[in-house]
Amino acid sequence: MRPYQEEYIANLQEIAALTLGRRPEDGTLADYLDRQEREEARQLALVDRNMELLRGELFPLLDHLPDADGETLEELGRFASPLLKELDADLFCLIHQALLSLARQRRDRDGVIRELYWLGIGRHARSGQLVGLEVEVLESVFSQIRLCFAEAAAYLKYFGEIENPDTRNYILRSLANRSLGQFKSVSARVRLLKNALEVFRDPFYRSMDPEIPWDRFVMQTHRLMASSITYSRESTMTSQDVADIMESVYIVYDEQLRAAAEGKRTALRPVFHYHAIAYYCGLDSLNGLMGKVELLIDGADSGDFSLEGMYAAISLPAFYCQYLQQYPELLQGREAYVEELYRRVLAYMEAFPAGAENSTLFLYLCQLSYTFVETARSVPYGVFLERLLIRFAPEIYLHSRTVTEAAEVFSEILLAEEPGFFDDIDDIRAIADPAEKRREVLRFARGCGMFHDVGRLNLTGLYAHAGRHWLEEEYELSRLHTVSGEAMLAARPSTRRYASAALGHHAWYGGGERSYPDSYQRLACPERQMVDIISLLDWLENIVYSSHLFTGTAQTFCQAAENAVSLEGRRFSPVLIERLRIPETAERLRLALERGRRLALERMYTGAGAEVQGE
Amino acid sequence: MERVKKSGLTLEEALSRIEALEAKNRALEAALASSEEVNQAKSRFLSNMSHDIRTPMNAIMGMTAIALSHIDEKPRVRDCLDKVRTASVHMMSLVNNVLDISRIDSGRLVLGDEEFSLADLVHDIAVIVRPQAQQKSQELKLEIGPVTAERLTGDPLRLRQILVNIINNAVKYTPAGGAIRVRFAQDPPAEGCARLHFLCEDNGIGMSEAFLERIFLPFERAEDQVAQIEGTGLGMSIVKSLVDRMGGTISVESREGEGSRFRVELPVSVSRQERPAPVLPVGRTALVAENRPEAAGLMAAYLEEGGLVPVCLSSGMEAVAWLTEARVEGRSPCAVLLGQELSDMSPLDLASHLREVTGQALPILLVSEEDWARLEYRAGRAGISAFVPCPLFPSRFLGAISDLLAGGGETGGSRDIDCSGLRVLLAEDNELNLEIAVELLGMTGARVETAGNGQEALNRFRAAPEGWYDLILMDIQMPVMDGYEAARRIRALDRPDARSVCIAAMTANAFVEDVRQAREAGMDEHIAKPVDLDRLRELLYSRLEGRTEK
Repeated sequence: MRPYQEEYIANLQEIAALTLGRRPEDGTLADYLDRQEREEARQLALVDRNMELLRGELFPLLDHLPDADGETLEELGRFASPLLKELDADLFCLIHQALLSLARQRRDRDGVIRELYWLGIGRHARSGQLVGLEVEVLESVFSQIRLCFAEAAAYLKYFGEIENPDTRNYILRSLANRSLGQFKSVSARVRLLKNALEVFRDPFYRSMDPEIPWDRFVMQTHRLMASSITYSRESTMTSQDVADIMESVYIVYDEQLRAAAEGKRTALRPVFHYHAIAYYCGLDSLNGLMGKVELLIDGADSGDFSLEGMYAAISLPAFYCQYLQQYPELLQGREAYVEELYRRVLAYMEAFPAGAENSTLFLYLCQLSYTFVETARSVPYGVFLERLLIRFAPEIYLHSRTVTEAAEVFSEILLAEEPGFFDDIDDIRAIADPAEKRREVLRFARGCGMFHDVGRLNLTGLYAHAGRHWLEEEYELSRLHTVSGEAMLAARPSTRRYASAALGHHAWYGGGERSYPDSYQRLACPERQMVDIISLLDWLENIVYSSHLFTGTAQTFCQAAENAVSLEGRRFSPVLIERLRIPETAERLRLALERGRRLALERMYTGAGAEVQGE
Repeated sequence: MERVKKSGLTLEEALSRIEALEAKNRALEAALASSEEVNQAKSRFLSNMSHDIRTPMNAIMGMTAIALSHIDEKPRVRDCLDKVRTASVHMMSLVNNVLDISRIDSGRLVLGDEEFSLADLVHDIAVIVRPQAQQKSQELKLEIGPVTAERLTGDPLRLRQILVNIINNAVKYTPAGGAIRVRFAQDPPAEGCARLHFLCEDNGIGMSEAFLERIFLPFERAEDQVAQIEGTGLGMSIVKSLVDRMGGTISVESREGEGSRFRVELPVSVSRQERPAPVLPVGRTALVAENRPEAAGLMAAYLEEGGLVPVCLSSGMEAVAWLTEARVEGRSPCAVLLGQELSDMSPLDLASHLREVTGQALPILLVSEEDWARLEYRAGRAGISAFVPCPLFPSRFLGAISDLLAGGGETGGSRDIDCSGLRVLLAEDNELNLEIAVELLGMTGARVETAGNGQEALNRFRAAPEGWYDLILMDIQMPVMDGYEAARRIRALDRPDARSVCIAAMTANAFVEDVRQAREAGMDEHIAKPVDLDRLRELLYSRLEGRTEK
């Protein structure tokens, strides 16, 4: 690797190691705040340096890639490799996309196959950071993955002509990797895996290259096939799909039994698949399956923080709750179990040691959040989300908590001037007592402020430990957080009323191309006044404290407020801007943002539980 | 009897006179009844009209008042104006209908006699009726039966009025989620004439037998069923009159609650000037990617008609695998036809990948029922070379392929345009990049001048006469003076074209703030490297359009 490449990777590693916003093991609040400030400054410096390296070294190289010699290209490949591990999948993809274009230009078949494979892997890694979004929303992301692997796998026809053993390996892996990602239909995935299995078992191909670990490929494909069951809903599988998956489930399960006989530790995943397939093929009832999953969950060691432990503590409950979501009638009689389940999950999360597997745990928890089932006495969804934010996405929590404080202050100002300001909302209009109305409005402001950006949890890679500014594609992707946030909040009774704030806080008051999502119609939403408030405060907070990391330069509150005023009627509601023009109001908001940030940090320091509990 | 005697008439004569008088009375009574019926119908019409005109008038007045009271709230004003526009359009159609019926009644309606394309007519109709059906979530199927002569002579305006009226009626009287099927077909032409067959069937509310008898009478509406649906009851009467005037026939079958079926047959003259047959590479393969068997089958049939060999695949993954093999084996298709639906991905996602695989040369056509205006931007970026609207006419379909293969014609997504009138200043320090960009620009016909760095570009611009350059393509990282600085200095020059000339940044830097930085330096556009020919063409086209507008 070139020195700038090594430096870039080292910087990413250092950023990942920063304890930014995390609860300290020891020290006073003052120490914590001091450390927080230092680490923020350090992160900024590292990001700036990374940007210098990209602009000064990498991009000029990509600009002139056709001129590059073989050694430079190899170094570029070596530089890309650790980017996947260091969660910079987009840069990884950018580099391999450039190398693929070059290989196509040079008509280098081995190069094309290799780069298609790595680009597919990079895109898959990127998609892995998008949790809980509907398949329809992500269709394009998954298509891009599959197209890479499908093109690489098409060279199977020329397997015998290809001399490079690595290229042969890439072709075979691509063949199975076509099944990666989510599918609208399980059958399509099963078909692709069956095709891969046929090839891997085919003596014709095996005889061409006995060095290839064919049996390992077969077993890995069976594992992929067995895991199809967790992607599926009963209604989307044909009986043939069930039969095909069943064969693989049994093969993988047998392998487990053999391992157990040899005294090795068995994995829970194949056991769950084994029970699940019994239900899908009619050997067991859904109640029976739920009971077996409960046994697996209950039998897990709550102090096991390995991948296997996380699977038992988080993933299995997620699957369990997915069934409850799909068949709500199953919840009857299981409420207490579910309530206890979430309490155990939160306890597991709190006890989880900081460090290595945090990103995996976070990913699993996001999955659980997606399938969250709320009952009368369960942990409210809002509390669950807030804990998640504090523990894994402190940047988002800090931002949201800050906005919350300012939203309360702004709502109070507006309510004092115009008691009917929020009366478009039926529940609020119905309250006659001014004090009660005020309490209700502030409660609403708190919820909207705290959860407006919760959709960012689904785009984990974009926000946590960003090591550079965003690329345009990442910026595009970040826009999904409004839709996904709305979906998360709207699906649970206790957070439903905050869904509009999540959906609408990036809509321009006057409409226009930069508004998103397109589907949001400001005038049609009864909560529009509060959405407008959140929209303005989210923008101000981002510009003053947060957005410089991703898209631009930080400004002081006064500069940001001036900019907001210049966007009156286009980006922001004239009603709010009118107030922002009043120096006293602007000052109160500035102080509220400052106070909100400090309170958020204090809360993160104490690790206290959630404030906003939903309804 | 006394009176008979006095009158001097015989009894028979008297009886005959009485009979005649009674007959006259009966006739007068009938005429009176008929006149009363017409009067009643006209009264109903006037009452309906005054209600129907008042309704949009109320909307116009009310919405104008609301807009005036919220004049500073742009979205609300816009919302009001949208509603005012809708109400005005509706009122205009009411007035037009009344004028039409009056013209027909007075015999003043003259039918036009001009040449037109049946394909254009059908596509115009589709554009008009599809959004209304979509709004009601109705399934609107437009099908083309046998059509041998597409260039016809007649009155396309009135023809369109007939067909749109019937389809609109179906949309109106079919509940949300219902289905409407429309089919156009044609008898083989004989002696310069071809009979057009039009069928429109729906599963809407249908009509009673009693109403069916009156459907073509003016001012008639099935009041009991359609109180909530706007209309004057003139549409079908106008349709009938127009069909009669054209020498055609119209029939309707319907059952209450089950839907209606309208059939229209019209004689039309076949134009002597048929379009020249498309020139296609007979025997070459064309790849069809479409998941709907019917649509894929139709494309395949038309391709075979044109002498091409279709290969039909239903998924994007199959298509990319097939194309990869075909390219390796030197049997690349002459064109790729992407349908509206694939089993595994969006056709535009496939198009993007295929464009990367094949480069710019291979025509990729999108065949879709979607509105091109809504797809154009994304399709252009995905590398679609041309758009063929549905319902599919063989002449359009094969013509588009032929035009693309010949390197000309309308191409929809990436337009082949003559940019020979444009002057481009290209600032790029890297020789290889410079060569590629000059080559790409050369393909568009634009005249290119080059500069090796920002300073040189600035000097060239300064030395050129005012308005000399239409576009400056500026690399960012260049020795001596970078692209940002050069753009800033050009913008700061004291000459009018320094502010108006389009400057586009060309760079691999794709960060959000790069785009912003380019804008802040005074650049208008941002082109990612490696430079894509379609994007370049798009930019040049916008310059060309800018020139025309000036």
